[in-house]
Amino acid sequence: MYIDPHIHLVSRTTDDYEAMRKAGIVATIEPAFWLGQPRTEVGSFKDYFSTLVGWERFRASQFGIVHYCTMGLNSKEANNVALAEQVMELLPLYAGKEGVVAIGEIGYDDQTEAEDRFYRLQLELAKEVNLPVLIHTPHRDKKKGTTRSMDVAEEHGMDPGWVVVDHNNEETVKEVLDRGFYAGFTIYPHTKMGSDRMVEIVKQYGPERIIVNSAADWGISDPLAVPKTANLMRKMGIPEEHVRLTTYQNALTVFGLSGQMNESDWLNAPSIDQTKKLGGNSVLRGGQVPRVEGPADRVEN
Amino acid sequence: MASASEIINFLKTLVEKNAEEKSISWLNQKVEQVQSSGSNSAFFLAFSQASRFFKKDSLELSETEARQADLLVDGFEPAYWSVLQAARTILLLSYPQEKEKWFAIVNQLFETADMNEQQALFAALPVLPYPEELLPRAIDGCRTNMTLVFDAIALNNPYPAKYFPEANWNQLVLKAVFMQRPLYRIQKLDERRNLALADIASDFAHERWAAGRSVMPELWRLVVPFINDRFLADLKRVIESEDEMAVEAGLLALYQCDSEKAKQLFKSRCEEVMAIEYGEITWEKIGIGFQEKRT
Repeated sequence: MYIDPHIHLVSRTTDDYEAMRKAGIVATIEPAFWLGQPRTEVGSFKDYFSTLVGWERFRASQFGIVHYCTMGLNSKEANNVALAEQVMELLPLYAGKEGVVAIGEIGYDDQTEAEDRFYRLQLELAKEVNLPVLIHTPHRDKKKGTTRSMDVAEEHGMDPGWVVVDHNNEETVKEVLDRGFYAGFTIYPHTKMGSDRMVEIVKQYGPERIIVNSAADWGISDPLAVPKTANLMRKMGIPEEHVRLTTYQNALTVFGLSGQMNESDWLNAPSIDQTKKLGGNSVLRGGQVPRVEGPADRVEN
Repeated sequence: MASASEIINFLKTLVEKNAEEKSISWLNQKVEQVQSSGSNSAFFLAFSQASRFFKKDSLELSETEARQADLLVDGFEPAYWSVLQAARTILLLSYPQEKEKWFAIVNQLFETADMNEQQALFAALPVLPYPEELLPRAIDGCRTNMTLVFDAIALNNPYPAKYFPEANWNQLVLKAVFMQRPLYRIQKLDERRNLALADIASDFAHERWAAGRSVMPELWRLVVPFINDRFLADLKRVIESEDEMAVEAGLLALYQCDSEKAKQLFKSRCEEVMAIEYGEITWEKIGIGFQEKRT
């Protein structure tokens, strides 16, 4: 069983969902992020947030995957201050919803003043609603940006054990772990980590507070990055317990602090039944044979 | 229709039997807060966070309570609600019902609701104030593809039969057919049958047959009052099929038609006709059987 604790499923196809389930992914967390281009209206944020707790959650369930999400204003769009202020008014509406396991992904992109302001406001929101925080670290000037993200989180009284610092690399991991934060690693070809480098990191630092994710989105990315990395770890002789911690349990432990994510959500989930959801533009169209787990679910469509 | 406070009190008695003490005192505290302060943020937060205190298990109702529900609001069936839905409805009804303010928060709720919140909102339609003004919201809700949400409007809910214009009603029924939802759970289905719907149902069956697929047996209930040569030909085809459930449905439809030609078609099927007369073949039983077969 795997958890992919960072994946933008709204951008993925049903083939991906099917492959993920087949590869053993039982639960996913979809952090609220940008859409590849900036939004210009607060209503676009509202509908996006609603999708995360509505349709996408439903869509995932049809493939036997439990879908959680994090809510937040991402750092890129924090730079449109007038809009960002409106989004901040919207966030409390969503932060308390079922299956919202953290405030995120928040933090720095260009490390501007506006980014800093909305990052801090959202750290306060996280404390108010008693949720963990998922930090997006910048791609440019990464090392300093990562340190600064942690400094500010501490300044706002966040317990490092409630904070996942994401998109780490060899240069940032030591400080993140030393300071007691969770360290997320995104296996994303070309720009972030590769699976082989990930194996080396687990070898060097051990499994504690390390979390592997795919951050698969609309870019060239791999929704199977977590199971693939787990398999590579096994092949390279990493103990099974370390594989389990870094690709399943650590994510469950930290995001479970929200009270919104429990192992029983997937262990006791009803068997996959796509058939009960045949609808106008549902994911299954008339005539397709639904993939069902047991013969009891089979239906003449 | 009963007043909001009567409905709240009734729902409270149901929730109290189905939830833990600490959850009930949380709810009472929130209700008081919502009633006295009219604070929007407190209300939204409570509505969402109810999921932390109440389960999605079905509400347990005694027969007396089920009758009581129907007396409060004609057709009200909270036996199909979860405990969480009831708790959320109590919160919703506790918000002061001053029209403009009320619509502002209810619109906000509908537009930002997650899947289970939508379920609670749409199922609550028959107990909410301003039902006529909520009609566009209800019609829009039927466009969902989330089964849970569609069911909350379409099944065991008196609202659509009472308020939907014919075209929207027909879309609701047809969508239920398309999604293979149990038609016998749509309230007043028989009373609101109409020729346009019967025609659409027959067209739909022909589309399915053309594609080599079967047709949901409950569908034939829709053609009964409008029997004509076209529907007779459809039903003849159905009763000559190999699918036992479809045959029963076709015979039941023919039996219920007030037509000499229909009689000719079923008169040789003594065994099934007897079963119909003894109440062994009913639309509800066919519907239940079909749902059991597909799950």
